[in-house]
Amino acid sequence: MLGFALRRAAASIPVLLLVSLITFGLLWLVPGDPASVFLDASATPEAIERIRRELGLDKPFPARMADWYWRLLHGDLGRSLLLDRGVTEAILERLPVTLSLAALAFALATALGVAAGALAAIRHGRAADRSLMTLALLGLSIPEFWLGLVLIWTLAVGSGLFPAGGYVPFTESPWRWARHVTLPAFTLACVQMGFIARMTRSAMLETLGQDYVRTARAKGLPESRVLTRHALGNALVPIVTVMGIMVGALLGNAVVTEQVFAIPGVGRLIIGAVLSRDFPVIQGGLLFLALVYLAVNLVVDILYAAVDPRVRLE
Amino acid sequence: MTQHFRLTAVVAGLAAFAAWPAAAQKAGGDIVITMVQAPPSLDAHVSSAQVARNVNLHIFETLYARDETAKPVPDLATGVEVSADGLTYVFTLRQGVKFHNGKALTSEDVVASLERFRKVGASATLLAAVDTIAADGPGKVVVKLKSVQSTFLGNLSSPRSPIAIMPAEEAAKPGGQARPIGTGPFKFVDYKPDSHVKLEKFADYVPNPAYKERDGFAGAKIVHVNSVTFRFVPEAGARTAALESGESHFNETADGPTAKRLAGNAAFQIVKVLPFALQVVKFNHAQAPGANADFRRAVALALDPDEIMAIAYPDIYKLDHAWVYPGSPFHRDRGAWKRDATAAKAALAKSGYKGEKLTFIVDSFRPNVDVATVMQQQLQAIGVAIDIKVADWPTVSKIGFTDEGWNFWTHGFGIEPFEGPASVISPWVKGTSQRKADPRIDAMFDRINSEMKPEEQQKIFDSFQDLMRDEAVALNLGDYGLFQIASAKLKNFKPYRIPRMWGVWLE
Repeated sequence: MLGFALRRAAASIPVLLLVSLITFGLLWLVPGDPASVFLDASATPEAIERIRRELGLDKPFPARMADWYWRLLHGDLGRSLLLDRGVTEAILERLPVTLSLAALAFALATALGVAAGALAAIRHGRAADRSLMTLALLGLSIPEFWLGLVLIWTLAVGSGLFPAGGYVPFTESPWRWARHVTLPAFTLACVQMGFIARMTRSAMLETLGQDYVRTARAKGLPESRVLTRHALGNALVPIVTVMGIMVGALLGNAVVTEQVFAIPGVGRLIIGAVLSRDFPVIQGGLLFLALVYLAVNLVVDILYAAVDPRVRLE
Repeated sequence: MTQHFRLTAVVAGLAAFAAWPAAAQKAGGDIVITMVQAPPSLDAHVSSAQVARNVNLHIFETLYARDETAKPVPDLATGVEVSADGLTYVFTLRQGVKFHNGKALTSEDVVASLERFRKVGASATLLAAVDTIAADGPGKVVVKLKSVQSTFLGNLSSPRSPIAIMPAEEAAKPGGQARPIGTGPFKFVDYKPDSHVKLEKFADYVPNPAYKERDGFAGAKIVHVNSVTFRFVPEAGARTAALESGESHFNETADGPTAKRLAGNAAFQIVKVLPFALQVVKFNHAQAPGANADFRRAVALALDPDEIMAIAYPDIYKLDHAWVYPGSPFHRDRGAWKRDATAAKAALAKSGYKGEKLTFIVDSFRPNVDVATVMQQQLQAIGVAIDIKVADWPTVSKIGFTDEGWNFWTHGFGIEPFEGPASVISPWVKGTSQRKADPRIDAMFDRINSEMKPEEQQKIFDSFQDLMRDEAVALNLGDYGLFQIASAKLKNFKPYRIPRMWGVWLE
């Protein structure tokens, strides 16, 4: 198992290298620089040049790239041009925010999605199946920014049950943290919930038709055990794969949710950096997200191998 | 509907403003303001962005500051003595002023701050005429100019990138690295990027005894609240939601439909900041056909600014084509826009334009896109073909300050008309904005800078405005404003260039 994990981890290095190259190349192609964020519309060219010089943007592209890789080799993602702190520090101070949001969304999507999918499969063809699958389709189809705004208007502005935005760390007040992340986490989870529910349903339907399920029933096992141990247990392999993809999607979609709910997370950090051309933050942030994505995929591969031992042989 | 909305907003606003002075002032509370974005820096010298001003001008003060009518008046200085030759300015500092770190303000701090601004200031050219800056004892500062500059006090008091006075040890730091320690009525508490900046009342602040109440960026800055939190909420709906759910007291920028919807609601006050900016349409003079005055005139004659502004800024615009705002001593009625389709076609034929597709660059600010779109339609009527390219501000501003890749560019001029004639002329000097130098404009800029008599300055400025109109160097479509929405709990608020949180209280 260790060899398998190491092989997979080593395969991630070229991917990270490619991500860093693409990010750097794209930023080179995109016009505009942070000087325009510091200055107003009638700034003189001298003022723009001075800001560019101060930010180190006057250096040629290869020099900047060499500088970036050299620092990267030393574990340094550079310094933000606008935030008055290192990129690693900027990411790390926002990471708990995004992770707590994504974790809650993951828990919601998994718990509700698997339950809904399993129930729909068990009640296959009946009203419960149709209703749950309609809801799942709805969840898949609603754009996150729209759902977020609707939830804000109904449950925050309308009824005052939740705050309209912002974030309170868990360490400061668990209760206020829960109130602040519930709506964004539900918004974030909605699409994935629908996805998981549909996936679980089809995987369950497939396993419910397998010989080993018929055998389990024939030997007199209680139906609950047949469904959980034999049907759902075996349906988990594709669901675990989907969950891996889901973690990546949750981190990616958090960008929109964090923007709508004004949550200071990694997604909003990167969006802000893109809009203000804070190059080190864009490069570091994207590389970091790629790293998280690869790490999650590695964990999924390991879990996959644990659930289905045949994977290790391939 | 529009008339009704205007009337309701104005009546509600007037009633509220009229009632406030009579109401008892209440101390305490935290005012929460939602802003579109975070300031790029809390080092007041290095940024001329509006969002930076919103925060920094609560923390920092300047020797001179603009009053309610944008006139330079003393702030940290008690006054100035100007030598007969107009080259030496001796500023006397206000006594008893303290920095937020407890240190008393001295002339050394002022000298260090001014010297720093000359080196790292985002608008360092404001002090370009300065020759030397020296302390004369602890309470006086002597500034010598290289040549007479009529706009020197105006420059010194510019809020654009404020020439903030900071402790000498902070002024010794490179650009972007000075800590936010000023003498202002609010003291910096914390800054969480993507979240908020929090300021608290500076307990040792002594309001300027020369004034009784607030006056622009100067005056008696009396603070009633305990703290102010500037929250950064980029999404417009989320800013409104925060206001409606009671989580914020002031939305710094709201859209027209939201202002209209909340106008009749007693829980809110709709504040119209009009004028906030004027809508400029730039031509690229470095490229054909923008280089040709007949082409530019044809465009001007073909446009209907009323239709453009009504679509881009419904309920919050004014067709005023002067290049400074009403209220400025230099403001004169520039008359109605001349629109004549036949004359436009004739001028276009004379210009040699052959129907080639022209590029209109515009940033993603919705009203700017609307201006470009309506212009595209109106110019199509005389045969001018336009291709609109929308991008974010960093991209557009990068392209717009080069000679290629664009023919038209529209955006707002906010601070320049507020500052006055020299600031308005400045962007056109050496062809910075239009990409081709015009010696006549450069000469006007030099003359207005050295001319001390206001009536002569007026004549120069009138000539500049005539030139802008007659040769359509660039177009001024009119003034537009900002809708701001305040909770009814916020009392005694008065709109200005930034939302000032001194003089206000929470009920």
